[in-house]
Amino acid sequence: MRERFKKWWEQFIRIMASMKTAITLLIVLGVVSALGTFIPQGQPQTFYFHAYGHLTGSLITLLSLNQLYQTWWFQLITGILSLSILICGYQRLRHVNNLKSAGSLLLHIAVVVTVIGSVWSLGYAKSFYLEIPVGEKVALAEHGLRDGRLGLKDFKVDYYPDFQPRQYASQLSLKGYKGKNYEERIAVNHPLKANSLKIYQSSWGWVMNLSQLTPDSAKTIQIKDKNTYRLQAGMDVRAVFIPDYAEESGNIESQSPLPNRPHVWLTLLQDGKIIDMTVLAPGEEAQLGLFTLRFDNYSYFSGLQVKEDPGVYLVFAGFILLILGILARYWQLFFPPKEV
Amino acid sequence: MENQLMNLTFFLLLLTVVANLIRLWQPKEVWNRLSLIIMGLALLSFLSVLTVRTIAAGRLPFANMYEFVLLCSCAILLLALFIRKTLKSPLFDLMAGVLVILLLSLSSILPSELRPLMPALQSKWLYAHVATAVIAYGFFGLAFCLGISYLAKSRDDAANLATLDERIYRVVIMGFTFLTVVIITGAVWAEEVWGTWWSWDPKETWSLITWFVYAAYLHARRTYEWRGSKSAWMVVIGFMVVLFTLFGVSILLPGLHSYM
Repeated sequence: MRERFKKWWEQFIRIMASMKTAITLLIVLGVVSALGTFIPQGQPQTFYFHAYGHLTGSLITLLSLNQLYQTWWFQLITGILSLSILICGYQRLRHVNNLKSAGSLLLHIAVVVTVIGSVWSLGYAKSFYLEIPVGEKVALAEHGLRDGRLGLKDFKVDYYPDFQPRQYASQLSLKGYKGKNYEERIAVNHPLKANSLKIYQSSWGWVMNLSQLTPDSAKTIQIKDKNTYRLQAGMDVRAVFIPDYAEESGNIESQSPLPNRPHVWLTLLQDGKIIDMTVLAPGEEAQLGLFTLRFDNYSYFSGLQVKEDPGVYLVFAGFILLILGILARYWQLFFPPKEV
Repeated sequence: MENQLMNLTFFLLLLTVVANLIRLWQPKEVWNRLSLIIMGLALLSFLSVLTVRTIAAGRLPFANMYEFVLLCSCAILLLALFIRKTLKSPLFDLMAGVLVILLLSLSSILPSELRPLMPALQSKWLYAHVATAVIAYGFFGLAFCLGISYLAKSRDDAANLATLDERIYRVVIMGFTFLTVVIITGAVWAEEVWGTWWSWDPKETWSLITWFVYAAYLHARRTYEWRGSKSAWMVVIGFMVVLFTLFGVSILLPGLHSYM
């Protein structure tokens, strides 16, 4: 029994250490990865039935080709390839006697380190998207992090002359994250970094505060640009922010994205059908169907991607090893040692 | 100004092709020299196109697909000029000229208007990522031209072919090294801008597939002694994958690199 196992084990190691296995797995992984670029990923199931027909759509969802890179079998192929590289590397260990062979070994270890880092990232990274209006705060514990209170103090958008956004930035305050406080201005490409937590500037938009007025009360409604709010069963109000209202044009449109003449365009919907609409400046109120609504004020909201990912540092370590490995492996090819 | 210079570059490249076609039938030194001079002039004219564009945009031409194809074409021409002296092959010069003309023709269907950098592109990583990609693709283009030259000469003297094969290998190693840096700089930049160092975006995935193809070439060559025609074919196929990554993915498979 023990003999049989030993024989089987030796055969397994031989197959795994074979270059044929590694190249075959490399090709299989390449072909499967390519397949994932032709099939749109992460769409709802109905999309695949509609786009590919019932039979192909069923096959796509059955084999999880719609989430190909997250499937167990894709990760299994990656795992087997990593194992093959690791066994190859281990067998080469005995033959490391110069820079070239050391480089080759390092190169292969680097690939495995990167894969391990990505698996760690996949399993332990916490990532979520937040939209915070200016002046408001959010407890990060509500989103699965241990502690920290994130506030948006200010938000600014800088435009090119043609009103294409040049850059947008948030003035953030992060209090009590792992016992520390942070005050930082973040912009696209300049995230806030606090240990393994990073906060990215992702998007932005407008948020409006309205009041639903009744003879004896005023209910505050916060509504984001182009969103709807349910006033009562079957009745919704849709708000569109018009930062620079061109009243003279006769159309409901904005001349620029700058809040020079801010207005809100409110539409009352009954079961999704428009029954009334109005345009209001800040402080103005109007009767919309049976409801009285007042436009109180407006502000920016900042779209932030929050991520806690310790695995990414292992991935980056893999990258550094990869570059060092390549340099060591091919150094002599381009800088041959001078013969004495 | 930029258009006139581009037309001049195109014209000079066509002249390079004609000169090298004549060189194939009349392998005289005078045609070799003439080919060198015309290729050199084409490069100068090409560099002028890029300079004028840089001045007009107020930034380096690293911002979109059109500018990237221009840079890659220019890199192939520059590298071809470096390598041609030791190679002395009219077929290689011809292939380099034809490849650059083809790339420029394809670039003419891409939007070429000057646009300011969007926020996601305003990063020092843009320059590291695009510059290394230009060099990597330049080397792979060069390896392709050498591979075609090899396949066309497969009845040639064995020693000459072995030298050519070795040269292809070295060029691929340069391309592979730079492609590795391209993927790494792209991942580090994506982590800095979006918080995801890898998203399986089609362009990313196809860059990885390109890396797999050339890694397979290097392993097959080392372990199975895949040299000569087999090796040359792999380099040709590898460049087809590069071209798909460059054009096919951008046109057919939109993703995070869509603004390119």
